[in-house]
Amino acid sequence: MSASTVPDLPGDSELVESYLGGDQGSAAELVRRHSAAMGRFLYSAGAAPDDVDDLVQESLFRAFRALGGWRRTASFRSWLFSIAGNLLRDEFRRRKGRQVIALEDREIPDRADPHGELAASDMEERVRAGVSRLPRLQREVFLLRAHEGAGYDEIAAALGTTPGAARVHYHHAVKRLKELVR
Amino acid sequence: MTACERLSDRIPEVVRGRSRWTPEESAHLAGCPNCRAEWDLLVAVDRVAARAPAPRDPSALAATVLRRVADHRRSRLGSLGRWTVGVAAAAGIAAAVWTGVNRGNPASDPVAVAATVDIALPELEPMETAELDSLLEAMEAIPSPAPAGWSALGEPTLGDLDADELEQVLGTWEG
Repeated sequence: MSASTVPDLPGDSELVESYLGGDQGSAAELVRRHSAAMGRFLYSAGAAPDDVDDLVQESLFRAFRALGGWRRTASFRSWLFSIAGNLLRDEFRRRKGRQVIALEDREIPDRADPHGELAASDMEERVRAGVSRLPRLQREVFLLRAHEGAGYDEIAAALGTTPGAARVHYHHAVKRLKELVR
Repeated sequence: MTACERLSDRIPEVVRGRSRWTPEESAHLAGCPNCRAEWDLLVAVDRVAARAPAPRDPSALAATVLRRVADHRRSRLGSLGRWTVGVAAAAGIAAAVWTGVNRGNPASDPVAVAATVDIALPELEPMETAELDSLLEAMEAIPSPAPAGWSALGEPTLGDLDADELEQVLGTWEG
């Protein structure tokens, strides 16, 4: 699921312990491992492109401020995603409602099938808008599974639900989103 | 578990390139519009993720995050320190009032208390001021066993007595 599974590298848990013991380099390694995935998660969940950097930074700040809250029943990355998800929910609330994701203005690529490219791009934007409008748990379960390939046990541990409920949330999300890509 | 459910469980790992379809799964996917739609959806989600803005330099990001965490801790320690000083000051004031340590405070000065508090002692009313002064001086000179614990707080004075205790002492003195 992440670099933490590579045997030659210290695991996330070891890096967290090392950071808590005073090694700042361990924190830098954790940021290096997970910040890009957090950006993809936040962007896919509906964060505006210009906000992604700030949201990643704020999520990491909250995470490092409360490392004791990581219970290790879920992976460190899933835990980070749950923090990012909370932050994004707060951001949506602060803006009094879900962000309306407009289709981005894009130039038609100079390719053999420009119409096909544009159609694919439109579909991706519709998917992103659809994901952002899902109920929070459905959205986070769906993205943890779709992006990270996380199992339902892992997702349940990260989001404080049960594996059965996580499976139901995933299938509800898929059902709603499939309508967008037909 | 149906063939569609089994395929659904496998789609994320195949989309992410962690696994490949078996021939049976490929055949099912080709003939099942529902599974095909789910596959298309997950492929689109994967492409959305690929379009996410490029992340900031991780080293700079880590430095910023750690600086913020350090600032936050300093701020919390400062708040905790101010809170501790506040509580300690409040406790000190309470102790000073309770033990009468602050002798300069009129509220703990026996003379000032006697001048402001109306203590009902009818036996003293017919006495002249000079007689009262004499009486008080004589009372101050009476040796008495200190109750347990008083020694730790210093020698008790008449100012430490409440109205009932003072009346009792006077009664003893008058015989």
